[in-house]
Amino acid sequence: MADTMAASTTARARARGGRRLSAFLPGAPQLAAGRWGAGGLALLVWLGCLWVLVARLARVVEALGGSWDERLALATLVAALATVWGWSWWDAGRAEGPRRVGVSQWDLAVRAFSKNRTAVAGLMVIVVLYLIALLTPLLAPHDPALQGDLISERYVGLSGAHPLGTDQFARDVLSRLLYGARISLLIGFVSVGISVTIGTLLGAIAGFMGGILDGIIMRVVDMVISFPQLVLLITIIALFEPSIFLIVAVLGLTLWPGTARIVRGEVLTLREREFVQAATALGYSKRRIILRHLIPNALAPVIVAATLGIGNTIVLEAGLSFLGLGVQPPTPSWGTMVADGRNVLLNAWWLSTFPGLAIVFTVLSFNLVGDGLRDALDPRLRS
Amino acid sequence: MKKVLAIAAGSVLAACGGGDSTEVSGDPFCQAVLPRVAAYMEQARSQHPTPSDPRYGGTVVIGSIGEVADGLNSAISADHSSTQHQQFVGLMTLVNYDAQLNAQPYLAESWEISEDGRAITFHIRQDVYWHDGERTDANDVAFTYEVVTDPLTAFPNAAFWDHYVKEPEGVEVIDDFTVRISLEPHSEFLDPFRTLGILPEHLLRDVPHDQLAQHPFGEQCPVGNGPFVFVEHRSQDRWVFEANPAFPAALGGRPFVDRYVYRIIPEQTTLLTELLTENIDVYLAPRPDQAQQILDDPNLELLAYTFRNYVFVGWNSRKPQLSDARVRRAITMATNREEIVQAILLGYGTVANSGVPPFHWAYDDENVPTLAYDPTAARALLDEAGWRDRDGDGVRESADGTRLSFSIKYNTGNQQRQDVAEIMQAQLAQVGIEARPQVVEWATLLQQINTPTLRDFDGVVMGWVTEFKLNDMDLFHSARIDQPYAWVGTHNPEIDRLLEQLSVTVDREEAKEVWREYQAAIVEEQPYTYFYFPDRLDGVNRRVRGAVMDARGEWLNIKDWYIDPASR
Amino acid sequence: MTKYLLRRLLGAVPLVLGIATIVFFAVNLAPGDPTLYFLSPGMTQEVVEQTRINFGLDQPVHVRYARWLGAMLTGDFGYSFSHSRPVLDVLADFLPNTLLLSACALGVAFFFGILVGTYQAVRQYSLSDSAFSVVLLFFYSMPSFWLALMLILTLSLFARNVWEWPIWFPASGMTSTEYDFLSFGGQVRDRIAHLVLPTLSLALVLTAGIARYMRGSMLEVIRQDYVRTARAKGLSERVVVFKHALRNALLPIITLVGLYIPVLFGGTVFIETIFAWPGMGRTIVEAINTRDYPLVMAGSFFFASMVVAANLIADVLYAVVDPRIRYE
Repeated sequence: MADTMAASTTARARARGGRRLSAFLPGAPQLAAGRWGAGGLALLVWLGCLWVLVARLARVVEALGGSWDERLALATLVAALATVWGWSWWDAGRAEGPRRVGVSQWDLAVRAFSKNRTAVAGLMVIVVLYLIALLTPLLAPHDPALQGDLISERYVGLSGAHPLGTDQFARDVLSRLLYGARISLLIGFVSVGISVTIGTLLGAIAGFMGGILDGIIMRVVDMVISFPQLVLLITIIALFEPSIFLIVAVLGLTLWPGTARIVRGEVLTLREREFVQAATALGYSKRRIILRHLIPNALAPVIVAATLGIGNTIVLEAGLSFLGLGVQPPTPSWGTMVADGRNVLLNAWWLSTFPGLAIVFTVLSFNLVGDGLRDALDPRLRS
Repeated sequence: MKKVLAIAAGSVLAACGGGDSTEVSGDPFCQAVLPRVAAYMEQARSQHPTPSDPRYGGTVVIGSIGEVADGLNSAISADHSSTQHQQFVGLMTLVNYDAQLNAQPYLAESWEISEDGRAITFHIRQDVYWHDGERTDANDVAFTYEVVTDPLTAFPNAAFWDHYVKEPEGVEVIDDFTVRISLEPHSEFLDPFRTLGILPEHLLRDVPHDQLAQHPFGEQCPVGNGPFVFVEHRSQDRWVFEANPAFPAALGGRPFVDRYVYRIIPEQTTLLTELLTENIDVYLAPRPDQAQQILDDPNLELLAYTFRNYVFVGWNSRKPQLSDARVRRAITMATNREEIVQAILLGYGTVANSGVPPFHWAYDDENVPTLAYDPTAARALLDEAGWRDRDGDGVRESADGTRLSFSIKYNTGNQQRQDVAEIMQAQLAQVGIEARPQVVEWATLLQQINTPTLRDFDGVVMGWVTEFKLNDMDLFHSARIDQPYAWVGTHNPEIDRLLEQLSVTVDREEAKEVWREYQAAIVEEQPYTYFYFPDRLDGVNRRVRGAVMDARGEWLNIKDWYIDPASR
Repeated sequence: MTKYLLRRLLGAVPLVLGIATIVFFAVNLAPGDPTLYFLSPGMTQEVVEQTRINFGLDQPVHVRYARWLGAMLTGDFGYSFSHSRPVLDVLADFLPNTLLLSACALGVAFFFGILVGTYQAVRQYSLSDSAFSVVLLFFYSMPSFWLALMLILTLSLFARNVWEWPIWFPASGMTSTEYDFLSFGGQVRDRIAHLVLPTLSLALVLTAGIARYMRGSMLEVIRQDYVRTARAKGLSERVVVFKHALRNALLPIITLVGLYIPVLFGGTVFIETIFAWPGMGRTIVEAINTRDYPLVMAGSFFFASMVVAANLIADVLYAVVDPRIRYE
């Protein structure tokens, strides 16, 4: 009795101390407790956003009355600061009282994931990346489309005014990299979103309904999968004018069969389970069963596939830009920057290298997270 | 594990065997003709042994991005690489130009033009043989002429023959080595014969003219009479030629090099690497940014010379924003073309004000007024033409509210043209014009600008390669306004008159005057904003000696190139 | 078994035809006219029309489709206008080169993938497991054309000119220009030297996927009872892994072959362009740009057929090898 009381007193003291620390430095108490993933991320975001606020104060003030883009960035900044602070406060305070260890599938998965260091690192990178993408109007030192003096400022290497150099039109590479992040991430996210939505729906319908519908959908799936994806993409984009819209649409429409197959497989197994049979017996409409019962349970492999898919899409976009079919100038995207800079690799290496590294690390992070998710969600792979 | 290895190894070995592209085409024409060539070459080699001069020997390798698209079939080719190979490598033309652009005898020993200027008689050399042993004679010339003037053949440069009498009355074989061609008097009448490679009549006479384009002669088994004999062509990979021992001694005899290989490498960084690692001897047309690398390497040299191609932006004068010549002139004045030459071409180029190349005898930059970069004057001119920024959004409008906003189209895969469009966008914005670069895939773009009923473009970045006989008729003459190349829709009586006069004036001095007036008229009309004549660049390994390249072409004197014996 | 095979074969036919039809309509209905490539100043409308007739483009779409379908069923794939040769000749030229490259890349990727995946499974959660994952994924995350250019710059240019290594590789082509004059041994060495960089560019990207799959498969097998029995019997770890576990873990890998072939064909486009490899991927892309309809359709048709065939073979192999799988 005394022990638990003593234990809970220490815990409460720790909690109070943690809260005080967290008021200045969100994330620090978590770091001190050894949770480097959550703590590190929180601290990083906190410090980063504070830096933006201070170092770019002028820009921040401008943004108050600026375009929706800038106002969104501002809102993100404030939201990020608030969220991080609030979470850290709440979490530090949670040290009070006995911790309940959850045993649901979800909790098991989360714990398995957290143990995977590379996956957690990947997740941190992704969160920071999306944050940066949203904060770009405040972060970028120059306008990405602004051409400098064509005689003296072209192909300038790494320097004070241009930390990552300039390109063939004397545009700042760092700014273009930041704005390019938004385009690349946007393309990745939206096309995978489209393909996952279509694929999940069609796969679930095919799996659950069976029969002719299944047959037709699977025929189409087979057809699209058998087709060398790149050739299909090139055919369509080369024949019509390339634009972000077309790229996203075509990517989404060529990637859904993979998801469909996965979902169909899952649904086929789930179909025989009791809860589905019960639902059918209860007279729920097919639509309800599919939407409310089957799909949520089939989502695990879909999430994994989607995460990996985002990475793949970003690389694909780079490939399309190589062929001249990617995002059109002057809009920057990582893919176009790598492709445009490849002709001057020997004298202006920074044009291709930084976007190339950006792609590699971003895609790597997505892949690590996807791998981690797969390991965490699949009970057979846990030791 | 072992099983996997076995399967892997097996499939690799199996595929290895089939790794070659077909070296001898299965086509019956080729199968019949190539052995004859091989036999004749055997004989020629023993009859004309290689002299003991140490310069003889070795292989020269040229690397380039593009295929020789039409091969050695002069009846259907318009591609620069192909015409160069026809002129200097595999076939022979009647005349060549020297460095002063005067015609010199080549396949034709001599020629006379009749007093009234209506007939030209060529006397053909008698010591030239086709690579399969047949002698080249007047019938070949007559045959070639008939083929290229026949509309059924669809000879791409049909404009060459504007003032020639077409077959069958146009050409007459007088004897085995004399041929007469009928024409109307006009200027530069020898120029087409400088580029037209003569085709073998005995091999192609039975081919219907509309099927020449598909005939294997062009790309699979061309038989020529030039300094180099065709050996093989691996599609998209390489062409291989070897020296012709029977080439007339009076014209220099066999080339110094034993073999000439043309390699196709579609990626410029790879090409540069191959040049720097000495796997290829010549890198054709590197980018200006790569020039420094070539200059820095002690084993390489950079050849740079003005050429006869130019880059321009054509304005569709049918559109309301672009119909006023003052607007077009203002656009040109608002563009800092000198800066663009410095920036995009790194100085390897000359600003262009018309389609006349700087080295051409008709070129005149002193007496012809040009539009210098002057944004203030540009703004004033736009104001005068009625375009003002009435609503303060930075873009000018006309009195009826039309915004001075248009698109500039360019084709995919051409970095330079993209650069031009983007820079224009930035510079025109300074004077209140909104220009939107728009990339279009090449075939689609051609359709958009070439179709007379469509003309779907505002501005388009394009390039022309001219011959030495300059002829803008198809571009600007109002009578041709519904033909494909009249993109801009120019309808100017002064220009019409000058163009007509130019095409018939024979005397160069007289023509110079007219050219001067013409160039001034073009500047006034500004159908195109002419940008620049880019210098041709070539990276050449120093072990290749004697290479002369200028506006006449890169392969100009390839038969006189030799490899330094020490570095073979 | 035979019934299954027959059913799949029969099913494959409409599949491939369906793909070919989609491609036909996509290419033919797109804007852009192939005859424009042959235009030059001075060509009158009659000449343009003549050229169009020469290439059979004056008929409406459905007529062209019917004609093409009919011709294809008799083995006539038409004439490529950009190459001025029958399409089958063009394919015969380029397809083997792509197959060679793909086979080598697959071979190398599978070899290393299996090796690394097994190692990772045996040492799960160790540092080397994570290290391998990260390194392989690093290459997997790179745009293949960038990887190719990096390899050219390092192993070709810098190796020879800057670091002066004894071995460096040629940056492009399938064979050197002196190939015909080399001895047989010299020729083999020449071919291999030209294969190294392109194969590496393709294989490095694929190895990650294969290693991951192998790792998962191996992990599953290792937990099986019979493996535990083998260990309990006192057999050395090596025998357990290689003799018992590996064989069974390899089975699902077979299906990977079918999965990776379309990926491979797509990926060769960039490699072939950068390494000047005269292959099918590059040819199809150029054919798309020049609207060379017959070549695009035939090329896509062949690609799709090979993919379908590869999948079929993979499934059949899997059934043959795994006695638990019996298709009805």
